[in-house]
Amino acid sequence: MASSSGRKVQQIGCPAHPEAHLIEDYRAGDQICSVCGLVVGDRVIDVGSEWRTFSSDKNAADPSRVGGAENKLLGSSDLSTMIGDARGAASFTADGQSKYQNRRQMSSSDRALTNAFREIALMADRISLPRTIVDRSNNLFKQVHDGRNLKGRSNDAIASACLYISCRQEGVPRTFKEICAVSKISKKEIGRCFKLILKALDTTVDMITTGDFMSRFCANLRLPNYVQRAATYIARRAAKELDIVPGRSPISVAAAAIYMASQASEDKKTQKEIGDIAGVADVTIRQSYKLMLPRAAELFPPDFNFHTPIEDLPEL
Amino acid sequence: MALVQPLASGNGMTNGSTSNCSGVPGKAAGAALGCDAAAAAQQLSSDTQQAADHKSAAAAGEEAEEAPVEEEVDITINNVVCSFSVRCHLDLRYIAMNGDNVEYRRENGMVTMKLRKPYTTASMWSSGKITCTGLTSEPAAKVAARRVARYLQKRLNYQTRFCNFRVVNVLGTCTMPFAIKIADFSQKYPRLACYEPELHPGVTFRIKEFKATLKVFSTGSITVTAPSVAAVQRAIEHIFPLVNEFRKERTAADLAAVAASRARRYGSRDSSESDLDDDDSDID
Repeated sequence: MASSSGRKVQQIGCPAHPEAHLIEDYRAGDQICSVCGLVVGDRVIDVGSEWRTFSSDKNAADPSRVGGAENKLLGSSDLSTMIGDARGAASFTADGQSKYQNRRQMSSSDRALTNAFREIALMADRISLPRTIVDRSNNLFKQVHDGRNLKGRSNDAIASACLYISCRQEGVPRTFKEICAVSKISKKEIGRCFKLILKALDTTVDMITTGDFMSRFCANLRLPNYVQRAATYIARRAAKELDIVPGRSPISVAAAAIYMASQASEDKKTQKEIGDIAGVADVTIRQSYKLMLPRAAELFPPDFNFHTPIEDLPEL
Repeated sequence: MALVQPLASGNGMTNGSTSNCSGVPGKAAGAALGCDAAAAAQQLSSDTQQAADHKSAAAAGEEAEEAPVEEEVDITINNVVCSFSVRCHLDLRYIAMNGDNVEYRRENGMVTMKLRKPYTTASMWSSGKITCTGLTSEPAAKVAARRVARYLQKRLNYQTRFCNFRVVNVLGTCTMPFAIKIADFSQKYPRLACYEPELHPGVTFRIKEFKATLKVFSTGSITVTAPSVAAVQRAIEHIFPLVNEFRKERTAADLAAVAASRARRYGSRDSSESDLDDDDSDID
């Protein structure tokens, strides 16, 4: 309220209607007489926002914000301002050194977290994982980091294991080999960290099934839809219902099922191609295939369109 | 002692013999693995020198554990690891130069000595702590340990004192007469069992009270790591009913495969593989 000094004296009022109540228009910075509409006070400080934001402008930076959104995972203690890298001529002294050499430090735990989050985002980006998995991964990492049970392990290893676990928890598991491909940690180390994290967070994960990988493998091999459906059916029959392949990893069974289905259709893939996509050795595919072949008639779905009949399926 | 008599108690399993056969192939006694339990028991008693008392103790224990079902499952102890101290500083270089059958690896900082008689490998550190691995029974471990300490005393003139002997780890294996559905088994016990087909083909089952870790495979083989032989036995007894729930009878092809692998492993063994009596003790 643009009231000047004094208590009762000199309240701004409409000259025609001094007793009239003044309406404040914050947006325009005015005080308006409610009776006649005369604007009596102006340049009232506007407490509204400086910039308008439209909901369609998601990608554009929000000019009303000062600084980025607070990341709940990082410690909420840190609201300090950081001095950025030197740019432009003014930030260098006469000797050519940058002024403001000491960037203000983040707390060390925050720095480890930030690094890990960046690593996770990088890895997820390489295999195009959606944002939900990355967020879940970040949450897991934060929990593990706070728990401090895995303190001695490399942060990258824990990050990779968190990514693996979050893919599993979301119902779209990635094989260890796929995670290895985008991380610089060995499969053994990721496996160890995986077990330790499950123990530390006291959670369990569902077992992997053959169907989880079918769509990805078949898409990478560019197999038609009916072959993919047939392969899914075969793998499920072999592993769950008939249990012909005891002790074989579901990935190997899936690969062998894809091989069988593709060999029975027009688009025949070799064991080597399938092995490359699935991360399975071709002898492993051969072994599972040999176990499945004797009962091939029971494995195929009833409405399958055989381009190559069962008797002519390759023996290998 | 005929171990096949059905008795009232417990769980469907008899330890035919906590036998001490194992890593040494071609051992004539081939202890403890006959399908005929009585013959096995006899073989046992006339068997290896060291463990006579141990075996009778085990056998006595076994009788108490027989089950109404006439099934025997043999547990083979494959590895016993023990550690003790001689309470004096050992000069590793001197031992390496003057000892027989020793190897000195400087990067590990220890001397390894191999004994023939209880076949074992002893690792010695300069602090005087010694670890013996590769043994097949607890008494044999004691003998081997004493033999090592004696060797150091006599040949190399150390003032050794044998102390702090303890068996650290025992590895035992056994095979169930049936195959196991490990996927369902692991789903029933999510906290205790860990099954990751990508990492390991077996289920890792931990029993906290015996401090034992068991690896259960789909063929029916189980390996147990525990702090003592008795713990191994109790762990197998504990897990037998759990695993029995998920049994899957072996097909003819599986049996043939199992027999073939046994024939490969125990070349001099007799035709115990060809037995398919009702008393189908699939022992090794």
